[in-house]
Amino acid sequence: MNRRPSRAARLLTELGVTLALVLVLFPFVWILATSLKPAELVADPGRWVFAPTLDHWREVLLRTEVPRNILNSLIVGLCTVGIALLVGCPAAYALSRSRRSGPLRFSILSAEMMPPAILILPFFLLFYRLGLIDSLAGVVVTHLTLVVPVVTWFLIGFFDAVPRELEEQARIDGCSVFGAFFRILLPTIRPGLGAAAVFGFVLSWNDLFYALILTGGESRTLPVAIAGFWTFRGIEMGKMAVAILLAVVPVLTLSFFVQKHLVRGLGGGAVKM
Amino acid sequence: MGLRLRFLLPLALLLTGILVYPLVFAGWISVHDYQLTRLSDIRFTGAENFTDTFRNPNFWNALGNTLIFVLGAVSLELVLGLALALLVQRLDRARHLARSLLLAPMFITPIAVGLLFRFLLNAEIGVIPFLLRGVGLSIDWFGPQLALFSLILIDTWQWTPFMFLMFLAGLESLPRSPFEAAEVDGASRWSQFLHLTLPLLRPVILVALIIRSLDAFKVFEYVFAITRGGPGTSTETIQYLIYQTGFRFYRLGEAAAMAFVLVAVTLVLVFLLYTVLRRS
Repeated sequence: MNRRPSRAARLLTELGVTLALVLVLFPFVWILATSLKPAELVADPGRWVFAPTLDHWREVLLRTEVPRNILNSLIVGLCTVGIALLVGCPAAYALSRSRRSGPLRFSILSAEMMPPAILILPFFLLFYRLGLIDSLAGVVVTHLTLVVPVVTWFLIGFFDAVPRELEEQARIDGCSVFGAFFRILLPTIRPGLGAAAVFGFVLSWNDLFYALILTGGESRTLPVAIAGFWTFRGIEMGKMAVAILLAVVPVLTLSFFVQKHLVRGLGGGAVKM
Repeated sequence: MGLRLRFLLPLALLLTGILVYPLVFAGWISVHDYQLTRLSDIRFTGAENFTDTFRNPNFWNALGNTLIFVLGAVSLELVLGLALALLVQRLDRARHLARSLLLAPMFITPIAVGLLFRFLLNAEIGVIPFLLRGVGLSIDWFGPQLALFSLILIDTWQWTPFMFLMFLAGLESLPRSPFEAAEVDGASRWSQFLHLTLPLLRPVILVALIIRSLDAFKVFEYVFAITRGGPGTSTETIQYLIYQTGFRFYRLGEAAAMAFVLVAVTLVLVFLLYTVLRRS
């Protein structure tokens, strides 16, 4: 590692990374261009020079259900993450601090890998009986199955990184267990809480499978609305591009703030930073 | 310990409600002739849904497609992610910017990724076939031969960043001293990679592989956005078949049986992956 890389090696490295960047960023450039292309040019792959127009944006924001869909996705995401943090946070702490937590940790992980295909059947029947089809409450419940295990798994990793001496000191200073938890531990893992919240929100915001089956009409979430843009007609493609950008930009912005905490969270304490 | 329990109780109750109860209910559904169109006539049929599933050629086809998809996508992502992590680690400038940008695909909703590539790769109006025609290549990305492979490539585009993220963090936390010793002994870069980097990275590789494989088994959005299982049934995956059986044809009993087989297959594969990687 001390050997100074030759100029050729450095050039090759930069070339490789640039190639990867082009492959990653090209679809983003294309979708942005499509959202600004006049409708009659959208289906013409050779046209890269055109007078940009905001027609599609105006159309989507003012004359479609997309703003409503965004609001639905937002409500579902925030409710899901709120409940997940409330329940997952104390549990992650308890799991992180108990000595024989192996099997319990594993059960959290196995909850994470439960395929939605198996859970949707009972949920659908249950919500059908309860009249919760086409309601956001049903979607929140199903999204909890995605988000709660992930958030808990995330937080275990962050609690593991906090030395026990910290809370022992707080106990000596007269804090109760709850006091130490709320006043000392939670503030210490604040970055972890933020990262878990963002990651959980992204999971809920991006889900198509549950929302596709459980919502319709007014209750549709943004991914379900996006799935509706399926035709090759130029007008529809422009609107699709706008809807996709509206789904993608908020999540990408959020993700930039938590990227450096993602690895510890995803590893759940299994991967040391 | 009483306090620990109190901390765990809300989670335990919630998971019982949203995971254990539905699983038991799904088990009950799977041993009944349960059709949404005939809710008044639900009969106990024992293992019939399971034997039907095992005799159903569509099920085996979908299982095969899913396995090819998972193996193809995850191994491509592993190799590319590792290569990319090694490259970015050696980058002298703009490393953080490059990392942030390269991670972008993994945050996008998969249905959007599916639709994006559906249009980018479309034979008539897609930019990529248009550019390829410029160099004399004509590829039918969603034809019967290539459709499944194209879905693998799309998954690779979206999820290589995940592998890259894990491996870059792993590389950055490797201890220095073994490499310095190897350097003194005059070991080549390649043998350092083979005998130091890879073995030291093994725990990270194991976790990343398991997370990605489990996730890839659930592939649904790309199929729904692009091929709807076609041409023919060449891209029908398990999750899509279950969706069709349950919510297009309303045969919930059969769908539940398929879902249980999927869970069993997933568990077996993860267990194999875990033991093989642990031992070697």
